[in-house]
Amino acid sequence: MEFSFSVTGPPKVDLKDSYDVVVIGGGPSGLTAAIYTSRAQLSTLVVNKGAPGGLVATTEWIENYPGFPDGVAGAELGRAMQNQAQRFGTEFASGEPEEIHLAADPKVIRVAGQDIKARAVIIATGTTPKKLNVPGEREFYGRGVSYCATCDGPFFADKELLVVGAGSSGVQESGFLAKFASKITIVEFLPTIQAERILIERFKKTGKGSFLLNQEVLAIEGEETVTGVRVRDRDSNEEKLIPAGGVFIYVGLEPQTEAFADQLKLDQWGYIEVDSNLRTNVEGVWAAGDVVSGATRQIAAAVGSGTIAAIEVEHYLSSKS
Amino acid sequence: MGMLKDEDKKYIREQFDEKLKGPVKILLFSQKLECEYCQPTEEILTELSELSDKITLDVRNLQIDSDDAKQFGVDKVPAIILLGEQDKDYGIRFFGIPSGYEFSTLLADIIDVSNGKSDLPEKMVDKIAAIKTPVHIKVFVTPTCPYCPNAVRAAHKIAMANPRYIKAQMIESTEFPHLANKYAVYGVPKTIINERVQFEGAMPEAAVVEQVLSALEEPGA
Repeated sequence: MEFSFSVTGPPKVDLKDSYDVVVIGGGPSGLTAAIYTSRAQLSTLVVNKGAPGGLVATTEWIENYPGFPDGVAGAELGRAMQNQAQRFGTEFASGEPEEIHLAADPKVIRVAGQDIKARAVIIATGTTPKKLNVPGEREFYGRGVSYCATCDGPFFADKELLVVGAGSSGVQESGFLAKFASKITIVEFLPTIQAERILIERFKKTGKGSFLLNQEVLAIEGEETVTGVRVRDRDSNEEKLIPAGGVFIYVGLEPQTEAFADQLKLDQWGYIEVDSNLRTNVEGVWAAGDVVSGATRQIAAAVGSGTIAAIEVEHYLSSKS
Repeated sequence: MGMLKDEDKKYIREQFDEKLKGPVKILLFSQKLECEYCQPTEEILTELSELSDKITLDVRNLQIDSDDAKQFGVDKVPAIILLGEQDKDYGIRFFGIPSGYEFSTLLADIIDVSNGKSDLPEKMVDKIAAIKTPVHIKVFVTPTCPYCPNAVRAAHKIAMANPRYIKAQMIESTEFPHLANKYAVYGVPKTIINERVQFEGAMPEAAVVEQVLSALEEPGA
């Protein structure tokens, strides 16, 4: 048996009343920004609702982030980034901001009932898995419908699973699910597989998987738990029920910008619009990482974006004081 | 080589030096046979307890010390209970090894118990402290679930606010499949309160507090 032990610094109990920089979001872009601003001796608070690394923490294994020739566990990478920020004095609050006033000067963010002032804000809230929006999806959430293979994979030992979405996430996480499941069918809306070739080949090697392309998912069916998924072939219009003990959904991501929707300029999909220096339309507010309109959603790109935002914030604050 | 990396030990030691106030006793219920995870749990807790002189580890046996087990509501192993100053029971329970993400839950809980309080906002603490009937919270997790520690921490903080009436358990689903089965756990975190209220996912603390209160309402009220 092998065990890992995630050592993440518990959040500080006593938050200060004001910080030079408040970063909202603790994924790669937010944590990188915090490493830079803290190291520049700007007092920095990261408000993070989830695990260190954000969505990265739900990725089992990462192979395309430079510096790790053998790859690195998503959880491990997120944690290392958080520890690095902590080393330079970044403070952490867990949870979601309850209120945000970006136009004010200083800006005010309410966390756990406490109003915190910030001279500058970096929004790095990233994205969250998209829902399919089909009947049964909500009803069977936690009873066979899941968006997190690393979380819930162990509950599906020897079961037949259906994964929706043949993008890189769907195919990669199917590879992980193959450790548990007896059989995996990946259903894709488009007529082609979008995932990276290396992931497809690895998935095929598990010997447990197959693809079903050009299929629209109509409904998730079940009784106590999921028993199957109804799909429609987009060419023949033929409908059929694929038996499955669980459904994992990887149909893309959507931005987490609801909390600022009325305060910042967003694009038509809800991502934050910025200029080339990652400034938003509100003075003193930057956006970084996957939440930025047009972002290349990769960890290395998010890290770069967090760096740019942090350096811009440093310039801004030193010119102000 | 131990279970913890040297760099992690160094980090934990620093955190403990800075944040621990009063003593914390880690009470582990274990057994030698037919408990795959008991031995590794004892190993990791031994290493952890060596990182601060404020922490002690007390290992009991489920069968031999059955009276103690009963007193703390322990019916399966490994089980961990954190006791504060003068062996005060804060209602915090871990069933199964606190590995993966749940190790950070354990660290944060130890710090809270040592301080005799959590960072749960006062308004919520007041609501919880007013409860005068027993509350049992179960939070099912897997060690690889990054959303789970928030759910467990919320439950443990709530227990800390009223330990006389509230007990909150982390349950490692893969170690206790019969329980995961009984409560139809197919996704984690899954929280069950007094066998009446259940919800999936990590909710904000305030929402969990409301769920606890709703579990106490009379049916149909």
